[in-house]
Amino acid sequence: MMDTKKSEVLQGTLDLMILKTLHALGPLHGFGIARRIEQVSRDVLQLNEGTVYTSLLRLQQQGWIAAAWGTSEHNRKAKFYSITKRGEKQLQVEAENWERIADVISRVLKLEAERES
Amino acid sequence: MSTRRESRLRAFAAKVRGFLCGRRRDGEFDDEMQEHLQLLAEKFAAQGMSREDATAAARRQFGNTTLLQEDRRGLQTFSSVEALWRDLRFGLRTLRKNPGFTAIAVLTLALGIGANTTIFSWIHSVLLNSLPGAGQPERVVELESLAPSGEWVPTSYLDFRDFRDHLKLVESMSVAQPMALAVGNDVGVERVWSETVSGNFFDVLRVKPEIGRFFSGVERDDAQNAHAVAVISHSFWHSHYNESASAIGAILRVNRTPYTVIGVAPKGFHGSMAGLSFDLWVPATMYGQLTSTGTWMLKDRKNRMFRVLARLAPGATVEQARSELASVAGFMAKADADTNQGMSATLLPVWKAHYGIQGSLLAPLTILFGASGVVLLIVCANIANLLLVRSADRRKEFSIRVALGASPMRLVRQLSTEVLMLATLGSVAGLLIAGWLGGSLRWLLPLTEAPQLQSGAQGGSVLVFTAGLAVAVAALAGIGPALHATRNNVSETLKESGRSGTSGTQSNRLRSLLVTSEVALAVTALIGAGLFVKSFYRVKSIQPGFEPNQVAIAKFNLSAANVDAQQADAFCRQLRERLERQPGVTAVTYADYVPLSLGEGSWEDLQVEGYVPGPSENMKIYRNLVAPGYFELMKIPLIEGRDFTMQDDSSHPPVMIVTTEFVRRFIPHGGVLNRRVFGWGQWFTIVGVVQDSKIHRLTENTRPYFYVPIRQIYRPEMGLAFYLRTLGSVSEAMQSIRRESQGLDGMVPATGVMPLNEWIAGSLFGQRIAASLLSVLAAIAFVLASIGLYGMVAYTVAQRTQEFGIRLSLGAQPREVLGLIVKQGLRFALAGTAVGVALAVLLGRVLGSFLVNMSATDPLIFTGAAVFVILLALVAAAIPARKAMRVDPIVALRYE
Repeated sequence: MMDTKKSEVLQGTLDLMILKTLHALGPLHGFGIARRIEQVSRDVLQLNEGTVYTSLLRLQQQGWIAAAWGTSEHNRKAKFYSITKRGEKQLQVEAENWERIADVISRVLKLEAERES
Repeated sequence: MSTRRESRLRAFAAKVRGFLCGRRRDGEFDDEMQEHLQLLAEKFAAQGMSREDATAAARRQFGNTTLLQEDRRGLQTFSSVEALWRDLRFGLRTLRKNPGFTAIAVLTLALGIGANTTIFSWIHSVLLNSLPGAGQPERVVELESLAPSGEWVPTSYLDFRDFRDHLKLVESMSVAQPMALAVGNDVGVERVWSETVSGNFFDVLRVKPEIGRFFSGVERDDAQNAHAVAVISHSFWHSHYNESASAIGAILRVNRTPYTVIGVAPKGFHGSMAGLSFDLWVPATMYGQLTSTGTWMLKDRKNRMFRVLARLAPGATVEQARSELASVAGFMAKADADTNQGMSATLLPVWKAHYGIQGSLLAPLTILFGASGVVLLIVCANIANLLLVRSADRRKEFSIRVALGASPMRLVRQLSTEVLMLATLGSVAGLLIAGWLGGSLRWLLPLTEAPQLQSGAQGGSVLVFTAGLAVAVAALAGIGPALHATRNNVSETLKESGRSGTSGTQSNRLRSLLVTSEVALAVTALIGAGLFVKSFYRVKSIQPGFEPNQVAIAKFNLSAANVDAQQADAFCRQLRERLERQPGVTAVTYADYVPLSLGEGSWEDLQVEGYVPGPSENMKIYRNLVAPGYFELMKIPLIEGRDFTMQDDSSHPPVMIVTTEFVRRFIPHGGVLNRRVFGWGQWFTIVGVVQDSKIHRLTENTRPYFYVPIRQIYRPEMGLAFYLRTLGSVSEAMQSIRRESQGLDGMVPATGVMPLNEWIAGSLFGQRIAASLLSVLAAIAFVLASIGLYGMVAYTVAQRTQEFGIRLSLGAQPREVLGLIVKQGLRFALAGTAVGVALAVLLGRVLGSFLVNMSATDPLIFTGAAVFVILLALVAAAIPARKAMRVDPIVALRYE
């Protein structure tokens, strides 16, 4: 079996990353999204690219993104995803949430470092 | 911002959409993934990989597509429904492929569930649903009068009227007295079990007539012998009137008097006594007419003979009504001090009431329910064990599935489905067993004359109970093995590739625990049954104080024949003369009571000359009305004085014979003969003293008792029993009683003709049934535990075959191998026995009060059970051990 002890994408954060990507770059297909995340993460994150699709589906069900069939740059039929108004609002909420939590965690970690020193 | 509930709602809506058009999306999603894979592969190829490498790398980076599809289905459809269906089909296939395992598991479950369902259906029909057919039965309670001693007694009609008219927290109240009535014409009569009731009986129980009407108007007043009307049961309507509407207004001859049928009770209604079926209801105000006693019986406050049912007023609690009742009864005890001094009354839930069969069944049913619960636990342990063995065999299957991406939850679900299927099959079989035992409630009751029993409850609540049981069993038996299966380390198992290595210590520990607890429970069950069996024999060996062998008894219901006291006396004298002429008969007598009846008999308020009772002393003394020759026939020694003679009749001064205990308590200073005792409104003279004998049950303490001549006191509404002692066969004597009474008066059939010693056995019925049913349950527990132990040892032997082979080839003696295994089996047995004995000691504290003349920690039973279990454990371990001893090292090593 695969080694399970590697740093995986945190549950829920993939949704946020996809929302942000679509927000920043406009309509993209799944492959494009995966490439973009790969680029940004610079191999820090191990991403099973397939999970991008289940994440997309989840976002679609919540009405935060919309999908439409179009033609890719390679002239192939592909599904293009774009962020909706509701999705933008959700992105804002989630981003704020994330920053708050990240802030708290980093402060907690610093506390630990002070004691040790 | 969307709340969590909103987002869940949206996900659900999406699932519904997906469920409705699922197939198409499957394809779309797949296309998208394939496209992605291809693009990735192209990208890798562009970086210089070979075609194969690029495809493989793309697959690695993308992840498991099958798993993704499954996730997608989870998002878009109700995956659980689909998965359940797949699990069911797969489970069915697995079960079918292992018919041996399935058969054993289902049979074991059927035994456990069948036993529990049967006993639950008994409890349901006797205790839980004690007023079937009644509306809001939980508001109905039973009113019981309390004698000064605190014992419960029936209620007199006058007391009933006072309670009825003065209690404000009771909405309505009715008497309900069971009675066998003779219904029919001159050609023949049949005995119909009836209830004599108040006019508002059906209001109290909230029952509506099937057709016709119930008692109304003047039929509800207290005027005696004025309303010859009757309500019939649905089954009586069916059997006698073919459910025709013309039954209303039809004339029924009841105890030789015409009654008009006014209504039919609805189908599910059987009267007001739990478990019993009645067919006829007549007004209690007809009591005097039905029994040819005129009107005095309902006018005498001392004549306590009615059972009373009450419906609580809306909003009133039992406690409130009970305290109101106590204060009214307290007032009556002062106002009617001549009859009611020291008396009180209370309200009880119907299932707790003393009248009827539930009183005598409460304790045995509770014990049986507990015992069958123990059996069920053993069943669970056995099933869990079987599952563990099987899951050890299926480790490879599970590992492969996990390797292919199945989540642990998925495996747990698969296993749970399989266990549930087994439990369901077991329940169906168990229900069949329970249905087949449907009418078996009769086993719990002595075979005395009584109304017909309702067939055991089937219906909804029993099904719900069984279904709940199945789920509980599946959870109990399945959870351990299922969780265990998920702990498998996949790579380890697969690496073993084909080696049937020993299963992990985890599994062994769990199985040891199960086997040990099985043995413990079996030991407990065995000890429990042993205690009851021994107690039964103890009771059986108690001497009743009379000689029951070679005696036949027969009962007659003279009130049903509508005869007066004089006719009754003539009947008795003539029948006695006829019977005395029969060959082999040495003595004939009669009395109104047969000793060791489970019923309480009758008592009279006495006043003994020269004895001053204490302030709250109970002077209600039980008595028997006997004909001359009773003591001689029963071989009860006459200590002093004389027996009654035929001259002791209503035209001679009343006389009495008392027991030694009566003398010890009331006349301790001598001068017994010719002392006077007051009862029935007149003075009796003591003419004799007889030895004590058992009156109600063998286990009772000796109580004062007295006898008076039946010819001086007898009234037809009392019971009548003939006794016949013979030198020949008792069954011939029984025949002659039937023949001669029929020849004398066809309207007075003999009932309950039986040998007296069988009658006594009937009084032991409770003990006997507890002892024998518990033995059966203990035997089942024992067999199951033995199977469990055997299975455990046999399985270990099979697993360690290789090890034994090596040992033997290295020079170990076969005997050593045998010892190794037997020791292992013995370890479980010893640990289990120790725990079981400890449990039994605890249990003994609870059961102690049911045991007669013995301790709840009887050393013989305890040692016996322990030794028995350990011996059997040895046998169960020795069988597989012998196999291990004979292992051929070469074969064992090649086995891999």
